[in-house]
Amino acid sequence: MMEKARAESILRSALELSKSDEIEVCLGGGSYSLTRFANNTIHQNVSEKRNQLSVRSVFGKKSGKAVTNKLDPEGVLSAVRQSETAAAAQPEIPELLPMPGPQQYPVVDAFSPETASLPPGFRAEAVARAVRLCKKNGLQAAGYFSSGYGSLGGYGEVSPLAMANSRGLSAYHSGTEASFSITAMGEGSSGWGQETSWLVSNIDVEKVASVAVEKALLSSKPRQLEPGKYKVILEPAAVAELMAYMAWVGFGALQLQEGRSFMAGKVGQKVFGENISIYDDVYHDLLRGRPFDSEGMPRKRVTIAEKGVLKGPVYDRITASKDQKESTGHGLPVPNTSGPEASSVVLEGFQPVTPEELVKRTDRAILVTRFWYVNVVDPMKVVLTGMTRDGTFLVENGKIACGIRNFRFNQSVIELLSNVEAMSTPVRTGGCVVPGLLVRDFNFSSGTEF
Amino acid sequence: MKELAMLAIDAAKARGAAYADVRLVETRVENLGTKNGKVGSYEASEDMGFGVRVIASGAWGFASSDDMSRESVEKTARAAVETALASSKVKEEELILAPESAHVAKWSTLCETDPFKVPLSQKLEHLFKVDEALRKVKGLTIAECSMGFVREKQLFASTEGSLIEQELVHSGAGMTATAVGGGDVQRRSFPSSEGHSASGGYEVIGRVKLLENAGRIAEEAVALLSADVCPSGKKDVILDGSQLCLQIHESIGHPSELDRVLGTEANYAGTSYLSLDKLGKLRLGSKYVTIVADSTLPGGLATVGFDDEGVPAQKWELVKDGLFVGYLTSRENARACGEQRSRGCMRADGWNRIPLVRMTNIGLAPGTWKLEDLIADTADGLLMETNKSWSIDQMRYNFQFSTEIAWEIKNGKKGRMLKNPNYQGISTEFWNSCDAVCDETHWWPWGIINCGKGQPGQIARMSHGSAPARFRGVNVGVAR
Repeated sequence: MMEKARAESILRSALELSKSDEIEVCLGGGSYSLTRFANNTIHQNVSEKRNQLSVRSVFGKKSGKAVTNKLDPEGVLSAVRQSETAAAAQPEIPELLPMPGPQQYPVVDAFSPETASLPPGFRAEAVARAVRLCKKNGLQAAGYFSSGYGSLGGYGEVSPLAMANSRGLSAYHSGTEASFSITAMGEGSSGWGQETSWLVSNIDVEKVASVAVEKALLSSKPRQLEPGKYKVILEPAAVAELMAYMAWVGFGALQLQEGRSFMAGKVGQKVFGENISIYDDVYHDLLRGRPFDSEGMPRKRVTIAEKGVLKGPVYDRITASKDQKESTGHGLPVPNTSGPEASSVVLEGFQPVTPEELVKRTDRAILVTRFWYVNVVDPMKVVLTGMTRDGTFLVENGKIACGIRNFRFNQSVIELLSNVEAMSTPVRTGGCVVPGLLVRDFNFSSGTEF
Repeated sequence: MKELAMLAIDAAKARGAAYADVRLVETRVENLGTKNGKVGSYEASEDMGFGVRVIASGAWGFASSDDMSRESVEKTARAAVETALASSKVKEEELILAPESAHVAKWSTLCETDPFKVPLSQKLEHLFKVDEALRKVKGLTIAECSMGFVREKQLFASTEGSLIEQELVHSGAGMTATAVGGGDVQRRSFPSSEGHSASGGYEVIGRVKLLENAGRIAEEAVALLSADVCPSGKKDVILDGSQLCLQIHESIGHPSELDRVLGTEANYAGTSYLSLDKLGKLRLGSKYVTIVADSTLPGGLATVGFDDEGVPAQKWELVKDGLFVGYLTSRENARACGEQRSRGCMRADGWNRIPLVRMTNIGLAPGTWKLEDLIADTADGLLMETNKSWSIDQMRYNFQFSTEIAWEIKNGKKGRMLKNPNYQGISTEFWNSCDAVCDETHWWPWGIINCGKGQPGQIARMSHGSAPARFRGVNVGVAR
């Protein structure tokens, strides 16, 4: 793995080569392995190790960037010179801010040596246990078990692990992550479950697989219901999908400043139900993310909404300067056109109940395990569309009555967050910590063939 | 490089691999963007590494690294075999590849002007001219322009004796005009919501004609703020080529991927309505619908000499006169649909990912209509242009698309502009409602540059040739 000392050595060598007025250097990367299975067989089993150096040089108000994965002295020198050449060839960016100086960061304990070095045999044995459970119930299993360390994203994108600049800023964070996901499939039905944690021992493979199996069995021979407005129980995975899209289209300061966010003209107003509070909190115990952003600024816990009242967006340095505020540490690499992003959304508010209690207290509702292919229909109203998937049920008289065929929804998340009647204990799903929600008047607009 | 490739192959064989291939990939990328008269983003990157894929004990293993030392190559090859042996503990049957001849070859994209030799200042000058033309339009809030260039040098070698060198070059550009006002946001993009990318050099940029269209696009974005909302109901719909590109991609391209059909993407991307029993039997579309897969298409983003399993590029039909007749396949799964050889659809996103079945260039064969005649022939319809939003279920039946703009068609006349248009349908019903496709003078290979698939995720690029086409009785205005 890229130890802190080696990372700092590479960054220091890049800083020393600089001929520009300012230089910012970032190192990212790590190791990632994933064991993938389908049809009760491991059919893909992969691993990668990679590191990447990003160099941004500034002359006055001109900025240029070069990225390389060649980390030998020659590669580092080439990246520094390329970034300088690029900066010199570009026009000035009048709003470009001087790079930040040294910062203080909270210490986030998110590195597990066991999780970082999980051998393929460990993942294969875990998959074997899940597959056996599915086969025992006459089902087909598909899914993955992944593990790794560093800052590699799901699509191979590399974010900073360590960064430094010529004004003395220095930051380092390395975390681990393990994830297990399974879809159990029967004739005309399926069920799904997933757990993600920085600590592999937090992943309970048997429990996740059992949930998927139970859903697949319960949703066999699904009934077809007419589309329309229904009371729904959205499990955390479904809620997380909606909240991630809402954050993407509306929680950033640039969107608000450009009038493109649902928050425009509404900060300080009550727009959600009074039991809805939303935060961006990378330090949440279930998330434990990197304590700095791509500008090197410390991430802050930001209150997006409290008791239904909008409090404001997340900021990077340039949007903060326009609003005479401080950066909240949500910046993307500079320069960029999309502005700051909230990526650690936490939703809470009601006194939580167990997921089972949500079902028990419901006379009639549709229970949604997860959504699929969600996209934005109207960003100002946060109207999203998407499909249900892998376990959609009719709940009657406090019990799951039967599986139903999948629906398409078209629903404003703003309205949804005004219609919440109860929530379960928040859990981590992807990069969010969200509860299951009991919601009235959820709009299913059409059905499908399965 | 060839020496390192052979070292990996030998190391994998020595550890017991029955089959091994290695891909060394060196990628260079340049992306730049402007926003409201300033540089909005700029990044130049270089990346090199290798991946070793093996079959041992009848199962797959893969390992990759960006450390190009001999020690690392041998260690990575051993890791790939170790991983395959772990895979073999959970398998239902032995893995057998469809036969393929050994190929020793070199292949390169036709590239007139190396985009990496064009000065950055020249590229920015072009984008700033477009930016200025966009911002001349009163009421426009945000003008964004972009260019991107990719060069990928690949070396593929296998235990079967293949040794293939390829150099792929892609270039692209686009622009977006956004108007904000009255609590509304409206956007127009050109030539599509992703701009336009193609295989080729800097000459591609000139063909995109951003400057020639900037004023119109910006005016349309502003006009949309005060346009009427698209009505709801059943209408005849004419989709422009750029929207049809995504319709083909989502509702025919992905379902034709045989790995999805066989269930290996079930946990993420999903499965497919084109199950094996449908081959040669399902009326996927009307007689006007012929869909051609073509890895040899000049300018196509998926145009290659060989796929990432060393299978030569091919051209074949997926849908012929409405009948579903073909899949996108790999060496591992071709036999499942009764074919003896892979169609060469395996592509990987860089050195650190395994090849997956990916769409190649997939196009709707041109018909016979002129667009103006098609409009004149439509009594009560909508002309929809430029994708804005997309969603489809995991088996690819139920879709919903929004476009940036529409125009009402009444009694053969193109009338008022409409905002927030969208439509929803079921794939097979929709393609069977197609009763007209425009001719080759309207046909254009629209580029997709962000197709996601797989775990871990991979991005692939491909082109979808299409001309405007008409669909009868479509549900429109559905998101209310």
